[in-house]
Amino acid sequence: MHPNPYRSVTRDNTTMATLEIKNLHAEVAEEDGETILRGVDLTVNSGEIHALMGPNGSGKSTTAKIIAGHPAYRVTDGEILLHLDEQDVADIDEELDEDDYTWNLLELEPNERAALGIFLGFQYPAEIEGVTMTNFLRQALNAKADEREELFEDEDEDAAEAEEEEDTGYDTSPMEGPADDGEIGVAEFQQLLKEKMELLDMDEKFARRYLNAGFSGGEKKQNEVLQAAILEPAVAVLDEIDSGLDIDRLQDVSKGINALRDEQGTGILQITHYQRILDYVEPDHVHVMLDGKVVKSGDASLAEELEDKGYDWIREEVYQAA
Amino acid sequence: MSVQVPATLSAETVEKIAEERNEPEWLLEARLDALDALEDVELPDVIQTPGRRWTNLEALDFEALVDPLNQSDETERVSAEGATVLSFVDALDEHEDLLREHFGSVIDPETNYLTALSAALFTTGTFIYVPEGVDAEDVKIRAEMNSRTLFSHTLVVTEKSGSATILESIESGEDTDGEDRYFSNIVEVVAGENSYVQYGSLQNLNEDTYHYTLKRADADTYATANWIEGNIGSRLTRSDVETELNGDGSESKIVGSFFGHEDQHLDVNARVWHKAEHTTADLVTRGVLDDTARSVYEGVQDVGVDAWNTSSYQRENTLMLSDESEADASPKLIIHNHDTEASHSATVGQVDAEDLFYMTSRSIDPLTARNMLVEGFFVPVLEEIDVDEFREDLQELIAARLR
Repeated sequence: MHPNPYRSVTRDNTTMATLEIKNLHAEVAEEDGETILRGVDLTVNSGEIHALMGPNGSGKSTTAKIIAGHPAYRVTDGEILLHLDEQDVADIDEELDEDDYTWNLLELEPNERAALGIFLGFQYPAEIEGVTMTNFLRQALNAKADEREELFEDEDEDAAEAEEEEDTGYDTSPMEGPADDGEIGVAEFQQLLKEKMELLDMDEKFARRYLNAGFSGGEKKQNEVLQAAILEPAVAVLDEIDSGLDIDRLQDVSKGINALRDEQGTGILQITHYQRILDYVEPDHVHVMLDGKVVKSGDASLAEELEDKGYDWIREEVYQAA
Repeated sequence: MSVQVPATLSAETVEKIAEERNEPEWLLEARLDALDALEDVELPDVIQTPGRRWTNLEALDFEALVDPLNQSDETERVSAEGATVLSFVDALDEHEDLLREHFGSVIDPETNYLTALSAALFTTGTFIYVPEGVDAEDVKIRAEMNSRTLFSHTLVVTEKSGSATILESIESGEDTDGEDRYFSNIVEVVAGENSYVQYGSLQNLNEDTYHYTLKRADADTYATANWIEGNIGSRLTRSDVETELNGDGSESKIVGSFFGHEDQHLDVNARVWHKAEHTTADLVTRGVLDDTARSVYEGVQDVGVDAWNTSSYQRENTLMLSDESEADASPKLIIHNHDTEASHSATVGQVDAEDLFYMTSRSIDPLTARNMLVEGFFVPVLEEIDVDEFREDLQELIAARLR
């Protein structure tokens, strides 16, 4: 097993978290915003790899962003639920009741969703100058632990605790890296980071660089997978993680994604245009989106069929049926 | 239109200041000349945009603000081996010739009303002298203002191949009970041949204080004169930080930072004059505004006729944390010699929504994420600072303002 003392989740094959998207409708969050999703249904269990395919503009990236809580979209109908099981909350000391196992993500802020175990790998990760990778990731890891405590905290205790412990937030310097003040000390975090970077074949120097600043396209994608490896989500949504990668980098990234699933039991929802990455990250399920809906699902052979024949035949199939 | 000379000011006032400090005749003469000039010189120019004059210096009530005979400060000075770091008064005893030679040589007291006022009335300040080849690291001047008015005049002289890294910090002392105050800080740097100076200045005056500063360097052949300024405090700051590249191959970096909140007003200016061949300048300013704070920036790169092979760069970025804050920026590039590589830019914007979403999607709460972005925004400035203590102090003040 992976020797990581800070794992919030330890899975074996008997446990399961589930991301359940039901009849999701959404539009751009503007006046008369364009409707983009028209009833998406999708279920991703931990430990499974799903590929979400479809032509440009079919709503794949929007689905990903809405799962993570992007403010640019407005959900008009449907729901997104995250079901956790015992193992997912093993780090929580509180007495838990039924409600603590199912969360309506649409009622939660992006940072709360992340703390519960949702991860979005961005198609275009932000470049953030002045914030080192090490600082950012350690901050994120500590924030996740703090946020989880708050989410699962008994509501009565909520107010009292908030008063007692003013959230001082980020109190370390971006120049010198984090002080030894959070749940995870600097040295221990460095060790964790080093292991995860080795897994992804990333150079150590990344840890000292500013977050994505001046990274090549491929380095940014590696960094997304690295972050997932450190945050250990229940479900990782990876938005075109394969775009802009050369073959070596594609293999590194694929190795990382497989490790997420194999070692951490993360469920993967991988958005892609190409069969190429699916040769390395073999999907258990393949879904096709068209005009804001998931219109067809199948196994890995569906992706191969799409590679050969494109999407037109699916479009015909769908509209003939309708 | 020139400004009324405060009725409280007379030749007697000036003579009294000079006498108390036992000053030589030439300095008294310079003070009296400056006093005479007050009737003729104007306030510094300010930026005007259609329908708006950004900084209204005319509105300053000098009658009430200027209390020349009760000036008081407590200043701690830390020297470096081989260098001289003295209060201006003490330096008159030990290095009168150097003071006489250089005082007012970089900044003419009659530059404007405020410089003339300073020359006539200053009672504090520091003289830093770095002899040939001496490397003076981490010189520190920590000043505390303890009166309604304080005029300070600082002079830095580095001889051939000397080097100095300097931190100056300015704070308010005792509580002022909301009384308006005025602090004036004139700094002249004479950077000799092939010498290096980094003058860092961190201003954290209380928010009842009006603050004027003019800092100017004269860079000789192959000299480097660098400025780093942090403006955190004061009610109103008018800051002009300038370098004249007078020697061939001379260089200057003018790095500015500010973080305004509440009703603060920051008028910051960076200017460089390329007057010789092969000179290089880099002007970098980063500022953050919260609440109803305002900033106005002017950056000038002036490339003279004789400035062959000039490199000159300028960028200014203002980050707004509030919808009610306001900013104006005017980067100006004046080129009289075509053999120039130059760029200039200015941006005003808010925290990037995609950056914020990216960070929150990693569990970091929105306020912490914003604060990390703001602290990261200042890093390019922090990275330029030579004196560690200055960097730490500036970082702390930025962090404190974010909480």
